[in-house]
Amino acid sequence: MTGSVRLTGVAGAPGIAIGPVWRFDAAEPEPGAAASRPLSGQRPADAIEAAAAETARQLDSLAGRLRDLGREQESAIFDAQSMMALDPGLVEDAIRRAGETGDPAEAVRAAAAAAAELLASLDDEILSARAADVRDVGARICRVLRGEVLDLPAVPSIAVCDDLPPSVTAEIPPGFLLGIALAGGSRTAHAVILARSLGIPAIVGIDGLIAAVDGRSASSAPLVTIAMDGERGEVVVDPGASVTTEYREREADLATRRATAAGLRDRPAATADGERILLVANIGTPDDAPRALAARAEGVGLFRTEFLFMSRQTPPTETEQVDAYRRVLEAFGPERPVVIRLADIGGDKAIPYLRLAPEQNPFLGVRAIRLAYADPDLLLTQLRAIWRAGAAANVIPHVMAPMVATVADVELLMSLRDRARDTLVGKGLPVAERMVTGIMIEVPSAAFLAPELARRVDFFSIGTNDLTQYVLAADRGNAALAGLQDALHPAVLRAIAGIVAGADSAGIPVAVCGELAGDPAGALVLTGLGVDELSADAGSLDGVRAALARVTRPQLDELARSALDAFDAETVREMAGALLAPAR
Amino acid sequence: MRADDIEVRNPSGLHARPAALFVKTAARFTSAITVQNLTTGSAAANAKSILAVMGSGAGRGHMVRLTADGPDEEQAITVLHDLFASGLGEELEG
Repeated sequence: MTGSVRLTGVAGAPGIAIGPVWRFDAAEPEPGAAASRPLSGQRPADAIEAAAAETARQLDSLAGRLRDLGREQESAIFDAQSMMALDPGLVEDAIRRAGETGDPAEAVRAAAAAAAELLASLDDEILSARAADVRDVGARICRVLRGEVLDLPAVPSIAVCDDLPPSVTAEIPPGFLLGIALAGGSRTAHAVILARSLGIPAIVGIDGLIAAVDGRSASSAPLVTIAMDGERGEVVVDPGASVTTEYREREADLATRRATAAGLRDRPAATADGERILLVANIGTPDDAPRALAARAEGVGLFRTEFLFMSRQTPPTETEQVDAYRRVLEAFGPERPVVIRLADIGGDKAIPYLRLAPEQNPFLGVRAIRLAYADPDLLLTQLRAIWRAGAAANVIPHVMAPMVATVADVELLMSLRDRARDTLVGKGLPVAERMVTGIMIEVPSAAFLAPELARRVDFFSIGTNDLTQYVLAADRGNAALAGLQDALHPAVLRAIAGIVAGADSAGIPVAVCGELAGDPAGALVLTGLGVDELSADAGSLDGVRAALARVTRPQLDELARSALDAFDAETVREMAGALLAPAR
Repeated sequence: MRADDIEVRNPSGLHARPAALFVKTAARFTSAITVQNLTTGSAAANAKSILAVMGSGAGRGHMVRLTADGPDEEQAITVLHDLFASGLGEELEG
């Protein structure tokens, strides 16, 4: 019997859970797997129609139950799935296929897969996302046809699987799901969104999870126990007494932090001696806005716009972009500024309609603003859409360009911005009164040129992730260089100090929108260095607010001074950690 | 047979929720009803199938053609036209 196994994945939803594993195998029946047996004497067509009707009934009742619980959004998913189950096109296609193969369940699976493929192929993000819902409906009809019953957890458990489809999570009685640990999935998976709304932990992308859990259940105890920390993205299989104690302590600590943070939420972020820090959110799509507002973000410091350009065959139209930007600008209103980042696109992303040449080093290549020297259309369209969205939402939009390296880049940005405005005015279209225009500082040359750049723009926003990668010449994705990827490295901090000094000389504000801003230790060091605004994922804001509330300006000044004199990131982390250690 | 061309004006097009409302309404009529996306030039799709309607990919600003063929075709076109004009359950902008 071996000891416990520690695995890591990507943090999805915070929280601590310890409990037995509930293994769910989401795999669809493979073609050629045991054929379904229609009820004796039933024709395949009748069997399919009956199973589809039963599935729709189950989905309707799920939707009703969720609606009664006030979970409207999830309820709408099942309403739509119920209609899909009864869809005449799907049912007819399945019956036709069953006539050919004689296997009703396989026919339903194939028909649902074909319908899903059609939706996935559409040039439309919302519709292609529905493809998974169609497959899920198909799998559910198959289960009814095969007379299979979902093996739901009998005791409160942690779900361990590759991915957990919405119709399965919805059937688990409330209180029986302690946490969700996925080998696959992404931070935006249905299961993660569900976990956040239930207040249970979720971790995605855990390498080796399935093998570790299944290996245990085969060899030793029938019931495998795991412990998970959704904030750190850590899972321990077979935790044992000492890990269990450690996790219970973390749980108590988290509860204290949550209570403190929730108490602070209704006050703007500030240090213990009353200095205000602007705390704003990073968002990736308009759908992230409600979460950011709920976390009391005072605006958006980074609205990534790449989602508009990815996974499609043609560029997004100006109107489509106006809609997306307007939704976010309206959600935050005139009191909470939203900084829209112009598309950060380069050779690392497969975007067929841009025909980007493959490059040896896409992160040192023709990306973002550099694309506009040869072909300005992409940026011009985006800038026109932002001018129009500002007018439609009646707010002053903020934009920033990534990857700026030189004064010439800033001059190009400003001329494109003005050209976009002139075109619209020429057509008689309404435009925003003005556009607050800033740049990201993430390239070392821009850090060196900070005073010159600061005189030409309205604000700086430091992208600490890329700045770290470029300053230390260490690829972000290379696990062997982990020691050179901590943005708290004094070399990076010295660059930041220079950027802040450059901004101060021109009287413009400096924000940080990298991950460092959402790390409590990082937030303290950055504030100490004179950064005015911190922008982080909504889930990090409570922690940063709580950290700032515990320190004073003189303490932060002292922290910044010693951090700049340190030789490595670990030392800086310890210094900041000392300020955050609970007073005993 | 009756036909009607109309612009999709609700913000999210014929997606999920608006599509569901459209299909539920179309299913109340006995006439055969189709919807065709004129902007993308898709084939005419069965308006009583949510998968077919979503598959027509009708986004905001697209022109669609509705046809109804059967005993209640007149009423079907009127009701569906009004449904589009009222924003398919969504608030219209501007």
